[in-house]
Amino acid sequence: MLAVDFFFAGMGGGMLVLAGMIELFIGEARTSFLGNLLGPVFMGVGCGFLVLELGRPFQSWRVFMNPKAILTAGAWIMSLAMVAGLAYAAFGIDPRWFGSESFRWQQDQYPVRKLLSVVCVITGLVVATYPGVLLARHKGRPFWVGPGLIPLFLLSSLATGSAAHFLSGFLIAPEALSPVWASLPSLAGGLLFFQLVLWLGYIYVKRTGATAAEAASAQKWIDGEHAGSFRYGFLFAGTLLPLILLLQPLPALKAAGAVLVLLGGVVMRCLVVHSGRDRTWLPGEQKYRGRLPHGDEAFLKASWNR
Amino acid sequence: MARYAMVLDTRRCVGCHSCTVACKVHNELPVDMIYNCVTTVGPTGVYPDLHMTHLPLLCMHCATSPCVDTCPTCASQQREDGVVFVDDKKCVGCQACIMACPYGARVMNHETGAVQKCDFCKDRVDAGLNPHCVNTCHQKARIFGDLDDETSEVHRLVHGEKAVRLLEELNTEPHAFYIY
Repeated sequence: MLAVDFFFAGMGGGMLVLAGMIELFIGEARTSFLGNLLGPVFMGVGCGFLVLELGRPFQSWRVFMNPKAILTAGAWIMSLAMVAGLAYAAFGIDPRWFGSESFRWQQDQYPVRKLLSVVCVITGLVVATYPGVLLARHKGRPFWVGPGLIPLFLLSSLATGSAAHFLSGFLIAPEALSPVWASLPSLAGGLLFFQLVLWLGYIYVKRTGATAAEAASAQKWIDGEHAGSFRYGFLFAGTLLPLILLLQPLPALKAAGAVLVLLGGVVMRCLVVHSGRDRTWLPGEQKYRGRLPHGDEAFLKASWNR
Repeated sequence: MARYAMVLDTRRCVGCHSCTVACKVHNELPVDMIYNCVTTVGPTGVYPDLHMTHLPLLCMHCATSPCVDTCPTCASQQREDGVVFVDDKKCVGCQACIMACPYGARVMNHETGAVQKCDFCKDRVDAGLNPHCVNTCHQKARIFGDLDDETSEVHRLVHGEKAVRLLEELNTEPHAFYIY
């Protein structure tokens, strides 16, 4: 669930950043309305998954209560990003869908539109980077600790965001036709390439890292329990294959590549979250915990009243 | 104000798990929840020079506690006397503190949906009594007291013996000291 939350929130954040940047530096209505709408919606979906994972989901409002906690800051910024993203997407609503000539709130709102774009870029960047910051602070999780995950999550969020924007354009084309939408696959490809280089560097640094626990956690990605998913799920299906497909001239192949980029984003987050289960173990702790009952043992189910 | 700490003398611990049982019974913990476990390291060495150490583990009640810092609902709190505890009413079960704790001292109660942990039996401590695990230990391997009180046994052991703290390099300033 945490990995799915990170995926949707990161992709939504990346979509907001792209929509805002294109609005500010290239021009209005260059991205699909559907993409602009789906950005904040995906963030909401991510939040929904996170709430479902809580032990007491009906008290989820409490996560807004501690201003000193990074989770609280993340919750507030994600809420702001969703509101700003939805407000920005509202400018793309076609009045003809509602049988109207025009909407008053869409006219002469240049400053508001630009201000919302700026808010979308800033909050989207924070949301896209936030999982990396959150995980990097965990001192007792050898694979996460350190700033390396921050650019990896940012790059992945931007790559999945650009892929999602490109796919959205297939369903509802951007209002103003421009080469921007057609360039999104190339942008996603470039981001994937940088992500690939960074991931290989990250694994190498962790493998030769500061502590034995870090090295052991990275070794699992090379020839341990995560190696298969990392090689075939993330590196091949989620990075190399989409890199090739995104550079093809046929739009259908580009779309297939974009779908694989999303798949790679999910696999990456699942692997990272799963790797965090390895704590810095205390002496004898692994052996002790390995012997504890899991709850499905026969002696726990037996009736002792006979 | 007192600053409570626990000293764990591994030279005395025989690995009987009495403290684990006493804690589970008095805190009425479900079968899959343990606040303080006793791990065993070894036997190491070559006969006849064999060594085996039993290591009682519990919440370290860190001075710089990452669990308190990370809690988004202020459910994880630290008292002025250093005791770290969870206010059950405020906990939403996000498990951020479980991820943040380098010592694995926190456990999720799947029945209540909240996170729970050792709180040094704070209600007993407030009444001037020792935690249950300390009372139960027949080897006197667990010593509890005020670290700031120069007359306390805890102060004497921490400053007089070769006391170490687990994962000290993480700078969480744990207040459980081990003598070996």
